Amino acid sequence: MQAEITMLTRRGAATVRRAHQVTSDSIRFGRGTDNEVVLPDIRVGLSAAVLHRRPEGLFIEQVGDTPLRHNGSTIRVAQLNPGDVIQIGPYEIALSAPPEGLDAAFSVELVQPMGDAMQRLTRQSRIGLERTHLSKRRASWALFLALIALCIAAPIIAYEYGGKARSPTVVASGGGAAGVSRASWNPGELSNQHRYFAKDCGTCHQSAFTEVKDSACMTCHSGIGNHIAQTGGSGLEQVRARLQQSRCADCHVEHRGINSLVIREGALCIDCHRSLAETAPKAGILDVGDFPQNHPQFRATVVANPVAPTFTKVSLEGTLQPADHPGLHFSHAAHLVPQGFPVLGYKPLGCADCHKPEPSGQGFQPITFKADCQRCHYENLTVDAILPGKVLPHGDDKGVANMVEGFYASLVVERGVPQSQNSAVERRLPGAAASAPLPQDARAWVKQKTREALAIIYDPKRGCFECHLPDSSKGPFRVAPVVMRTRFFPAARFDHAKHAAVSCDDCHAARQARSSADVLIPGKERCVTCHGTENASFRAQSTCLTCHIFHRQDLGPMRKTVGLPAAGAREADLALPTATTGAKP
Amino acid sequence: MSRTMTRTVSRTAMPAPAEPAAPAVDRPRSDPTEVTGPLRDRPTRHQSFLVYEHFRFLKIAVLAVVVSIVLYAVDAPYGTRYGGTWAGYTLGTVGALLILWLLWFGYRKRSYLKDQGNLVGWLSAHVYLGLALLVIATLHTGFHFGWNIHTLAYGLMCLVIASGAFGVYCYVRYPRLMTENRHGVILPQMLGRIAGLDDELRKAALTVDDRTAALIERSTESTAIGGSLWQQLSGHYPNCATAAALSGVDRIARGAAPEQEAAMRQIRVMLDEKAQLLARARRDISYKAMMDIWLYFHVPVSFALLAALLAHVISVFYLW
Repeated sequence: MQAEITMLTRRGAATVRRAHQVTSDSIRFGRGTDNEVVLPDIRVGLSAAVLHRRPEGLFIEQVGDTPLRHNGSTIRVAQLNPGDVIQIGPYEIALSAPPEGLDAAFSVELVQPMGDAMQRLTRQSRIGLERTHLSKRRASWALFLALIALCIAAPIIAYEYGGKARSPTVVASGGGAAGVSRASWNPGELSNQHRYFAKDCGTCHQSAFTEVKDSACMTCHSGIGNHIAQTGGSGLEQVRARLQQSRCADCHVEHRGINSLVIREGALCIDCHRSLAETAPKAGILDVGDFPQNHPQFRATVVANPVAPTFTKVSLEGTLQPADHPGLHFSHAAHLVPQGFPVLGYKPLGCADCHKPEPSGQGFQPITFKADCQRCHYENLTVDAILPGKVLPHGDDKGVANMVEGFYASLVVERGVPQSQNSAVERRLPGAAASAPLPQDARAWVKQKTREALAIIYDPKRGCFECHLPDSSKGPFRVAPVVMRTRFFPAARFDHAKHAAVSCDDCHAARQARSSADVLIPGKERCVTCHGTENASFRAQSTCLTCHIFHRQDLGPMRKTVGLPAAGAREADLALPTATTGAKP
Repeated sequence: MSRTMTRTVSRTAMPAPAEPAAPAVDRPRSDPTEVTGPLRDRPTRHQSFLVYEHFRFLKIAVLAVVVSIVLYAVDAPYGTRYGGTWAGYTLGTVGALLILWLLWFGYRKRSYLKDQGNLVGWLSAHVYLGLALLVIATLHTGFHFGWNIHTLAYGLMCLVIASGAFGVYCYVRYPRLMTENRHGVILPQMLGRIAGLDDELRKAALTVDDRTAALIERSTESTAIGGSLWQQLSGHYPNCATAAALSGVDRIARGAAPEQEAAMRQIRVMLDEKAQLLARARRDISYKAMMDIWLYFHVPVSFALLAALLAHVISVFYLW
């Protein structure tokens, strides 16, 4: 067959045509130089296609793998007509009507030239992380905005609007998402005491960008006790003013853990108490440093005069100072003899026989004659020689006098005034003064006999004044009141229950105390055998609050929100709430 | 520098791994062209950001840490130490301002024209003061942590500092590896050589059998460098057409006709060279990717930290 082949090459706008004729059985296309039509491109196979002439017409057939297209359709064999377009790889072969005498005519053009290798390489390569899907800017914005929304906007909305529904149900349920939002701002674990309402921040944080005010605390704690009385005391004005300026939050902190509501460091107290002798010189309050080194020796509040009654403080330096005046003659030592007493079956007395603990176990119930003395000292209430079968009423001077007088009056009524001096009371106790001659007048006789009998009953050797002091201001046969302390440290608290493992004798030298004036309260030196500083490693750590209470309910309210201060409240250290008990019969 | 950049690449200079490094006179010990980001416009006379001005910022950072520790120790608040004591507020304020200043570095390093000290100095300060921040902020917390935005801010800060520390490690490690890998040839030059090889391979393939030609075509057509995040980071291209061509050509060459032997040998040599160039280029990209990837964490988390810091400060004073 004979064919005319036109090679087209485009250079810009111009087209170069190079035509030549080929005579062959068939026309082969391919990259190989042995082909009738050489297609010099790597994308074309050495042999790509072959054109045949058959009786039916022209046919093209694929050889090898090079893609072959006929008018856009991928084919293996196709019949060709003038005007058809064949594609072999990047080449386009356009058939035209053959000139006279030829079997075929077509043009060949490289329509998809291979691009510049460098350009292609660059185009295909993605170099640099900025050309991946990563984006610093996108990620930054996303994270920034997400956190602004979640950590700032949401909690503020929850605080301002979510928390407005401060009904118990909302608060109890935690407020759902609003609660979680608010919780995300919580800077630390809440105290156990405040947890039940703390889901609503607004309970305490009542307005934004202002510190929590005391008024928020006073909502619940309006009656909290004062530290010193609001009036009275000498030279305490400066201290009082300072206390009024203080905030609850100075000593109380929230969001610091379940048991951290109260700052327990002694330094907080010592901040004021280190120089109270300067600040309030007239108040007589000693300066205090950290326990135990710089804590002053304890001062027990004891009775100075039971009749008035007045109290005084006595330092516990040394032991067994005869400073207390409860209005009794009493020897602990005489009661704690090892051989015991016949009335008790010679069983020795123990501390607990008289000192009964309070129900809380902290202190002891007041000593009373009836509860603690009478079982042994019952005979002291009977004077058979004078008043056979009668029991004198304890603690009732008038009652005793009435009983005696009544006895003699009834005697006169029954028998008349005895003429003889051999009366029922003729027998005298050894050493007693001889009776004065009896007056003949019955009234005078009764008075005379009564006076003589009372002298025996109130006898200082074995009568009332064996234990009691006379109150001569009121008359010859009057017993002075008994004032016994149950708390010797009114400004501190000592819990006996917590010290149950220690025996009484370890702290109280009762077995050596021969006088009721002896103060049996131990000094600081006893405490330091077990108690150390607040950071002690091998002693019980002790802060001011271990023994002392700041808010004293007995001193009126801390803030002037409720009522007036308790009338006549005394200076803090000398105020003696529940510390004193009069003697009870 | 310019000589290195414009040096023409000749295919005939066989770049093999055994080739000695380019003469040292051509390149400073650490070529500025091989590092990016903050080091890009540092002074010609090289000074590492770590030793900048005889460790000036290391000394400042150590001083800041010591002062912070002393402040923390001196502060004896009632109760436990925390962010709200005077020392806590001081440390917190210093820490917050430091965070803002460290963030400012991201802006500063883009402002080439401003003269606010040179960037090496800034980077040195950024690194050392950023590490000091870890101590300052930790002391500010008073070692109180919880499930809240305050600890979130602290945690984000730790992540930013840790990623920054990893960045320092990368900046110390990879420039040296890149220098060793490049043998004085920078990436565009490698690409040029590869493109030249592609051209020549394509010409050489005209004369050889179809299977070989097909292999070569795929190698030249689909030579891709870089690519996905994983490919760039790992330098691992399991479907590399060139590697496939190399092994395919080896197989074909064994049964090739004697007249094709010379052509096949030439193709084999060129493919081998291309494979080595590709490996180097991909390693180079992998090193570069390692030097950059941490920033894709460091920067977004820094902005998250900025938001958390704002939340922390606002929340503390909103509910004072």
